[in-house]
Amino acid sequence: MIPLVYYLAGAIALYIIGMYCLASKRNMIRLVIGIEILMNAAHLTFIVFSAYRTVGYIDPLGHAIVIMSIVFAGCVTAVALTIVTYAYRHYGTLDVRKLRRLKG
Amino acid sequence: MFTEPLDVLLIFTVATPVVGWVAYRKAYRKILGIYVALGLSVTAYFLYELYREVAEKGVVLIVGQLPFNPPLGACLEIDMLSVFMAFLYTISGLFAAVYSIKYMEHDTGLTEYYTLLLGMIAGMTGVAFAGDFFTLFVFWELMCLTSYALVAFRKQRWESIEAGFKYLIMSAAGSATILLAMSFLYGMTGTVNFAALATSLNNATPDGWLYVTLTLIIVGFGIKAAIVPFHTWLPDAHSAAPSPISALLSGVMVQTGAYALIRILILVFGSMQSMWQMTLAIFAVFTMFGGNIMALSQNDLKRLLAFSTIAQMGYIIFGLSMASLSGLTGSLFHIMNHAIMKGLLFLCAGSFIHQAKTRDLRKLRGIRKTMPLTSAFFAIGVIAIIAIPPLNGFWSELMIVMAGIEAEMIPFSALMLANMIFSVVYYIRVLRMILLEKPTAVSKKATEAPAAMLIPTLILAALCIIIGVYPEPFITMASRAAEALLNLQTYIGSML
Repeated sequence: MIPLVYYLAGAIALYIIGMYCLASKRNMIRLVIGIEILMNAAHLTFIVFSAYRTVGYIDPLGHAIVIMSIVFAGCVTAVALTIVTYAYRHYGTLDVRKLRRLKG
Repeated sequence: MFTEPLDVLLIFTVATPVVGWVAYRKAYRKILGIYVALGLSVTAYFLYELYREVAEKGVVLIVGQLPFNPPLGACLEIDMLSVFMAFLYTISGLFAAVYSIKYMEHDTGLTEYYTLLLGMIAGMTGVAFAGDFFTLFVFWELMCLTSYALVAFRKQRWESIEAGFKYLIMSAAGSATILLAMSFLYGMTGTVNFAALATSLNNATPDGWLYVTLTLIIVGFGIKAAIVPFHTWLPDAHSAAPSPISALLSGVMVQTGAYALIRILILVFGSMQSMWQMTLAIFAVFTMFGGNIMALSQNDLKRLLAFSTIAQMGYIIFGLSMASLSGLTGSLFHIMNHAIMKGLLFLCAGSFIHQAKTRDLRKLRGIRKTMPLTSAFFAIGVIAIIAIPPLNGFWSELMIVMAGIEAEMIPFSALMLANMIFSVVYYIRVLRMILLEKPTAVSKKATEAPAAMLIPTLILAALCIIIGVYPEPFITMASRAAEALLNLQTYIGSML
């Protein structure tokens, strides 16, 4: 069995990639994808921990949480894409730098 | 299923579109607002019943009907603090709903608006009632999703779109951070039940993973609680949302973040208490200064109030960071007062915007001449929030400062006093502009707000005075909630 640490390192790397994406990307769709990556990092840790609780068994609690959480991630993406659509209709661009009329 | 108050809220939320379909004509639109106000009144009644039950038993435990008992299955655990918070949510929601009847009458999409409003209150109530981390997360997401849509509600305006998108990205990143922290807690203990987490982690020796989890929890909930490096969404979102929603966001939703933060820190991270106390206190000081300094230079009335909310969150977080009975009592009392005062200020600001069609303070000069009643209520709210003795803000801010001295955090208390003086500076400027200066062309044209908007502000202003003159019963309520928060034995014992 592959040691737990590798999976955790992968999940934390995903989390960092997501945060980097949020901090550096300017396309609004990419920002939404960044949110998805962040959520998936957390889902991956849940799945890994549920598999490693007891050797040979899978703890169903982690899976139940992840299935529900995927639904929420989908809802957030839907709302986000709606707002992106309105922003595109209004500004004619997806560049988040063009949306800098608000300060602070 | 989820206790009567939450059931009523969810049923009314789901049934709102049906009523909206009935009230399709413009003349019938009032029905929607009245229906939502009715739903919240029924909720308040059932909450009172629940309060009596909690007062009798200490903790009420609701377990699902599935063959999974806690700590495996999801559950609700309601103590005095949950009921206290739920009361605030319901009452604030009631004022916002009644105010919306007139304020939102020219908007389209009112069915969606009221559905989202009820959904947001249901989400916040669920967060307060949750007995395990997963239930908390589910209701947390309900609250977040509805509030994203409400901030971006006036989707024709660029401001709402920008603020909504910024808020969504920051808040969703916060939610993901909370989920990651939850997964680490699950990995360490194999459960997400609060009581089970508390028994297994409260005496654990702190190790690296626990520190990482603590950081993630503070960051994740701190984004919602507008702790200062994570506050940037708040001024935009609060000023772009319709005014009744700003009152709800600022009065109670930000406090939900503080509630979840302190509940989890006290229950799960007892072994690292000295560490998170200091961290939170330092963050609190940054939050106070950040909010107050930024508020000094604002000319937009709603942005100014939003920055003032950040400063007030600093006071609340400072009170919570002491984790002592007096500090928590002061903080919870201040949460209640802040919901009333900020609700009042945002609703009055909404009346100004509705009547004068501007948020610019320079154009609102001298509006007392044409809107005397709204200006008077606004002045009461301002006097309460800058802690002038006969009104409610004074008592809670005094309690937090005194508790800080008691808990040997004297430098922090001194900084908080300095901040209270800071806030006087910009609020006096606002008062002077509205009450004393000569009217401008815009404010001369305004007329007094209609009665449907005056009544909620009148009641809130009266509450400011009543709590200020007669604070005893309200302080008792807050202190019972604080006792329930600190009484871990009862909370854990009733579950396991």
